Amino acid sequence: MYDIIIIGGGPGGYIAAERAGARGQKVLLIEKEHLGGVCLNWGCVPTKTLLNSAKTYAHALHGGMFGVHAEKVTFSLTEAMAWKNEVITKLRGGIAFLMKKFKVEVVSATAEIVDKNTVKTSDGKTWQGKNIIIATGSTPAMPPIPGAKDNPHVVTSTGLLDIKTMPTSLVVIGGGVIGVEFASLFATLGVKVTVVEMMEEIIPFMDKEHAPQMRKALSNIDFQLGCKVEKLDGGTVHYTRASASADGAKSVKGDLVLMAVGRSLNTKNLGLEKLGVDVGPRGIVVDEFQRTNIPGVFAIGDVTGKSLLAHSASRMGEVAVSAIVDPPESRQRMRYTAIPWVVYTNPEAAGVGMTEDEAKKAGKNVVCSTVPLRNSGRFLAENGASAPGAVKVVTDGDTHRILGVQMYGAGVGEMIWGAAAMIETELRVNEAREIVFPHPTVGETIRDALWEMH
Amino acid sequence: MADTIVMPRQGNSVESCVLVKWRVKEGDEVQNKTIIADVETDKASFEVEAGFTGTVLKLVHAEGDDVPVMQPIAYVGKAGEALPAGAAAMATPAAPAPSTAAPADVPAAPAITMAAMAAPVSAAAGSSPASPRARILAASQGLDATGLAGTGPEGRVIERDVKAALGASAPATAAAIEEALRLGVKLPAQGSGLGGRVTVADVSTSTAAPSSAPVAGATGTSRAFPGPKTETKIKSIRKVIADRMAESLSTTAQFTLNASALAVRLQELRARFKASDAALGLNGITIGDIIVYAVSRTLGRYPYMNAHKVADSVFEFEYVHLGIACDTPRGLMVPVIRNADTLTLKQISDETKRLAEACRSGTAKPDDLSGSTFSISNVGAFGVESFTPVLNVPEVAILGVCGIAPKPVQKGNDVVFLPSVGLSLTINHMVVDGAPAAKFLKGLCDAIGECDILLAK
Repeated sequence: MYDIIIIGGGPGGYIAAERAGARGQKVLLIEKEHLGGVCLNWGCVPTKTLLNSAKTYAHALHGGMFGVHAEKVTFSLTEAMAWKNEVITKLRGGIAFLMKKFKVEVVSATAEIVDKNTVKTSDGKTWQGKNIIIATGSTPAMPPIPGAKDNPHVVTSTGLLDIKTMPTSLVVIGGGVIGVEFASLFATLGVKVTVVEMMEEIIPFMDKEHAPQMRKALSNIDFQLGCKVEKLDGGTVHYTRASASADGAKSVKGDLVLMAVGRSLNTKNLGLEKLGVDVGPRGIVVDEFQRTNIPGVFAIGDVTGKSLLAHSASRMGEVAVSAIVDPPESRQRMRYTAIPWVVYTNPEAAGVGMTEDEAKKAGKNVVCSTVPLRNSGRFLAENGASAPGAVKVVTDGDTHRILGVQMYGAGVGEMIWGAAAMIETELRVNEAREIVFPHPTVGETIRDALWEMH
Repeated sequence: MADTIVMPRQGNSVESCVLVKWRVKEGDEVQNKTIIADVETDKASFEVEAGFTGTVLKLVHAEGDDVPVMQPIAYVGKAGEALPAGAAAMATPAAPAPSTAAPADVPAAPAITMAAMAAPVSAAAGSSPASPRARILAASQGLDATGLAGTGPEGRVIERDVKAALGASAPATAAAIEEALRLGVKLPAQGSGLGGRVTVADVSTSTAAPSSAPVAGATGTSRAFPGPKTETKIKSIRKVIADRMAESLSTTAQFTLNASALAVRLQELRARFKASDAALGLNGITIGDIIVYAVSRTLGRYPYMNAHKVADSVFEFEYVHLGIACDTPRGLMVPVIRNADTLTLKQISDETKRLAEACRSGTAKPDDLSGSTFSISNVGAFGVESFTPVLNVPEVAILGVCGIAPKPVQKGNDVVFLPSVGLSLTINHMVVDGAPAAKFLKGLCDAIGECDILLAK
């Protein structure tokens, strides 16, 4: 009898396993493919590795303004992919080591829940546990667009991370995070990239002032916004502009077409219906302790539909473990108000808390302050005077609380956590102003924006 | 040898007291009159004096312990002095000889205070005065001292109240403290933020008015479910009430009869008392007093109602001792008007007021609070129309007094509305049957209906 059986070894499941193991729990982790899940194997990590190759390539090409001139700069997809695979393998090994360290037993199989204390794996074995944590994640969604099925030109993010030859052109269907990240990656490598997005703006949760600035900064991508994809014909994507009917039908052709219209949650074939787990239209329904309606059965990560981010999944895993091992009065809770997000494009975008629009909708007396990143000496030195980037701090003019921080520009993904800490601790402007930032850093622009407030 | 301080006997009916709070710690120097502890019976609270001079060598019981009277609670002597044999073990059954300083039959310190009221009374208008020390401490921690329940003299908020309030709540973010001050509310005891910190959302949800908006789904808003809650340990008097109520309902067969008595004369009489010459001292006689008087005079004719059921016996009492349920800041208390059948209406009225005041201020003596043969619970002032009073075991009956409301009465071919007072009588059907109980209730209704005549008896 295990204390906890975890289904899914992604950033939710393996962190939960590690935390539970560290608390002396007897843990079984069931993973159908590779430890680290989508994040490590087909998501966050490989894309960032390839993006780094792309950025290094771009730096080599454009180092002239810093006095660095390189000739015959080339990009080798094969070597970049090999480095990506090496990174993944190393990190997988790291997780395996952690599982061993915390005495977590790992089984490589798919799993089905038989009852609330029993899990059956595809190798025919049956496992007993006092608690079950469902951490099965999500997979790329395939919308029923005519001509998409069995089309050799069409790939998902998973397929695109495993290509053997560079495309000369890429059409990305979907202007959300995944679509824009891949678009930026390939555009930086010189591929002709078109993004076709149904909404009028990319990355829906971004600040409404920052999003157009981001598009401008991603000038190597052709954005077709407000466009509905009607059908695919080989590599040709036919779409219509919804707003201007006169514009009529258009099409764009790519060697590859990336389908990036969202992700579907892995709630099937788990035995959830039989167990009676409450699965809503947006995932497995959980409370702030990650409990489902079935006592002893928890769900974390994408499969809850609450926040499809690796770090949200990890945190949910910790919360679920706390719910299992801690006494009721010291159980941790899942909070979503200070979860930062990063879009890994070139340049990056990041944010935490409310945007200006959200704060206004919430009825706040919103006071904002925006500072361009080039105010930072380090940013200017490393990126040049015309490099895009800004930090925007959203506050409540009545209580002076910091409600949100949004930013875009090179490297902002590395400094958003500081803003998250301010929001999580409910700092007010005057208090946050007292925090000392190292100089010169790009992060100082957060401090500048706070001091710009009236 | 060291001197032994025992749990003093608080009246004859008290078997044990809850040690609510130690005022001293081991190693402290105490004088004869030093208050060393606050203790509480199920009825009232008291301070315990040291009775000796010296160093506190050992505190035998922890706060919250229920200690039998005359058992040692502490030892005082010279520093380093040996304790009496057998003193080391906590609450040894074999008690050392009671010390002469706390004689068995002399109730100890008459300084009965509200000091031991651990459960804070929610200050209605948040206007209790606070001592400067309390105010400074509260302000430094972002608390509003005037919103606290004061346990100092005359309900004054003193430092320990602030400390108790601080100890009772989780750490809060600065913004949450500001929000609580702005809204004029107390910080919730538990938070949902980092490490259990109280957040702004916790403060606002703890005060949020019920919304008529559609119920948010489990996946919907960020509103916590089930939301912040506070925990109060059920202890001391509340614990006694809880146990008594559960015992009452689980060991008896409760059965309630509802009736109403014409209240025309009752209201007239009350109005005349109110308008009477102040020199007579009758102005304060209430409707409730008159009903208590009627009960005291009626019970004698129905001795099976003025009784206790203990194990397999029923004890019918010749004299009438009336328990009067009384709402106090600490919860329900039932002081007893002894020999009510011999008292005049004015005496009953005066005694009721004295006992109620003593209960509310915590100065009731234990013997004021025991020995009732029948109880009365009056909730008429709150407009209750009928209810099921819970027996004050081992009594076999309790009368609930409801509000006065006009009731249609047929007069010839006409209907007139006459004021009537509702009466809800609960009996223990194990020993009293419905019909005899109904007879008593009918007799009581008649007595109340003709209360002016009854007075002449």
